[in-house]
Amino acid sequence: MRQYNLPRRTVLTGAAAVLATPHIAGAQAKAVRIGMQATFSGPLAQSGITHRNAIEMEVDRINAAGGLAGRPIEMVYRDSKSQPQEAARVARELVNSDGCDMLLDAESSAGSFAVQEVVRDLGVLCIHSSSETSSLTADPKYRVASAFRSSRQGIHDAIVGGAYAAKVADARKLTKWATCSPDYAYGRDTTAQYLEYLKHFKPDIEVISQAWPKLGQPDFTEVITKLIQAKPQAMYTALYGGDLTAFINQGNIYALFSAMQVFSVNLADYTALTAIKNLPAGIDTGNRYVVTCPDTAANREWGEAYRKRFKEYPTNWSWESSTGMRFFEGAAKKAGSADPKKLAEALRGLKIDCPFGVDGTVTMRAEDQTVVGYAIGWGTTLTKPPYVADVKAADWGTIFELETEWKKRNGFI
Amino acid sequence: MARIFRDIAIGILAIAVLAAVPHLTPSKAFQDFVIRCSSMALFATSLNLLVGYTGLSSFGHGLFFGLGTYSFALLMQRTGISLPMAFIATLLINAVTAVAVGAICIRLRLIYFAFVTLAMQMLMHSVIISWVGLTGGDQGLQGGIPRRVVAGIDLGDQYNLYIFAAVVLVIGLLIMRHIVNTSFGTSLRMIRDNEARASFLGIVVWRVKLTVFVLSAVFASVGGVVMSLFVSGAYPELINWPISGDAIFAIVMGGVGSFLGPTVGTMILLLLNDVVTRQTEYYGLALGIIILAFALGLRRGLLDFITERLGGRPAGGIS
Repeated sequence: MRQYNLPRRTVLTGAAAVLATPHIAGAQAKAVRIGMQATFSGPLAQSGITHRNAIEMEVDRINAAGGLAGRPIEMVYRDSKSQPQEAARVARELVNSDGCDMLLDAESSAGSFAVQEVVRDLGVLCIHSSSETSSLTADPKYRVASAFRSSRQGIHDAIVGGAYAAKVADARKLTKWATCSPDYAYGRDTTAQYLEYLKHFKPDIEVISQAWPKLGQPDFTEVITKLIQAKPQAMYTALYGGDLTAFINQGNIYALFSAMQVFSVNLADYTALTAIKNLPAGIDTGNRYVVTCPDTAANREWGEAYRKRFKEYPTNWSWESSTGMRFFEGAAKKAGSADPKKLAEALRGLKIDCPFGVDGTVTMRAEDQTVVGYAIGWGTTLTKPPYVADVKAADWGTIFELETEWKKRNGFI
Repeated sequence: MARIFRDIAIGILAIAVLAAVPHLTPSKAFQDFVIRCSSMALFATSLNLLVGYTGLSSFGHGLFFGLGTYSFALLMQRTGISLPMAFIATLLINAVTAVAVGAICIRLRLIYFAFVTLAMQMLMHSVIISWVGLTGGDQGLQGGIPRRVVAGIDLGDQYNLYIFAAVVLVIGLLIMRHIVNTSFGTSLRMIRDNEARASFLGIVVWRVKLTVFVLSAVFASVGGVVMSLFVSGAYPELINWPISGDAIFAIVMGGVGSFLGPTVGTMILLLLNDVVTRQTEYYGLALGIIILAFALGLRRGLLDFITERLGGRPAGGIS
């Protein structure tokens, strides 16, 4: 049998190097270190990658303009592999070992709640830039003083989607509805909330069929034939990503999209739009990210700059992380400092210029520390770029009114 | 008897050394590492009671680890009971569940046992995902664990949780070590080596198997409690089947025949995870290559390899 000899000196040098790493990092006091964690591996890797792409654009821009109150930003990226226990560990490691001053957490749902608990324990400043679960910031039980959110929220999407669908349904007399959403909490909650607001705006609709395909289901034949046989006039779907593209590709074969008016909340994201073989025209879709919503020069410029640099269009995740970085930037300007405590103070109620704002600005609402005023709307698909046209931006007055009612109903306020 | 005292002395020494480390180095990552290691090592060692000592290859042991996290976190969130009471109640819940699951599984052998345990875990995972009102579904149990206090010591403080985890690990390992060294432990090895002979010698095989199944479930749930305290909650990933795979990996890498093999394996696995994750996004690829190196290079777990090189025979006595 072979002998494995490792020189003692090599082992000691290696060990010393490993132990010394955090201290070397800690010595670079000038830079503001922001820890960013997300899923960079596995089937959801695209989420982390497109978050990071947007962050890199913002870091370059902010650093070129002098950084955060004169201090350059240095990012530390970590993969949490879509596991909440890893998310918790990585968040702690970023703060405790890597010396990060603040976090930009791009974990989705469960991971963001795990990070929220770390933020609660460590008291570190954190902006969540991916979680769309409304309760993260709406429910006072989960709220943490130093945690903010720069991503969209499920409740906003439900209200806007319901209001838009009610208008279309009124105009085209669509009363018989079906739904087709992924069979887990996100799919079921989103669908229930959407229908609630659709009925709020148009009480005479009737849901005649509901399909719940499994996550990652390769074959939608059964679901599609069930939907066609039910003969609804309209259908809502909360499918997303690979499931949505598979559903549309297979639905095309059965001419599903000419049999009923389809409302897809997650379609208008370039990842889905560009992956579909023959995108049917006329599907109603909520905006995730498209350069035509908001239809402004600033948004188009940002989208094109991203595409030029990364050879693909940005995603919904991209604008959410970009907005998070812009909030750090705006807060540092307002506070005249990069001190996390001062930044947190400055963030509450902060209004910044932002290409993704419906009026060119977004606000970090002080009462629940979450972003409002971002462009959110619905439009219809085209077969060719820009893929989505005629996006009608939602009215934030209505959103605020119904969101407050929803919060009261749930005992959040 | 001398062996017990020796083990206890080593345990106390280990705790003393761990308690001193934070005074020598400020690394909080080390403390986090020990907390996670405590959780996973208890889990992996408890699985080795089945795999290494009894020859029962369970693929669904994560059920009890995950159930430990959920029952403890739920008891802390939903009821007003203290942490020690919730801890004991968690062990009881797991023991009762293990009796029910074990009664079905232990009558099966080899691959059938493995697959039915896996099915049981997937069943529990589905229940947790579907029972949104109680468990939060796929979002996990949110909102943190309140009142993390034992005898006036706040486990919300990292150093306290670190010491707590170290003490729980040492006590857990000592008890399991004692179990495998008793005549009951001998019965386990006898069943593993030749079930028919054990039966002819008067051992009631199903009773011994069920007992060890329940005991291992209880220790796995202790690991779950530590994990629940670390993440301050419970998440479906902690009860999903890959977590059982992690424990099996730990055993394979550390050594199935040595009592501390799973603990060493856990340390290797977590260290690899932490180091590789810092360097690359291709964690799975790196881990796969390293495991392949273990399988083809050492052909056994690290501790078994070392024990054999030193001329000994692994304590578990794999024959």
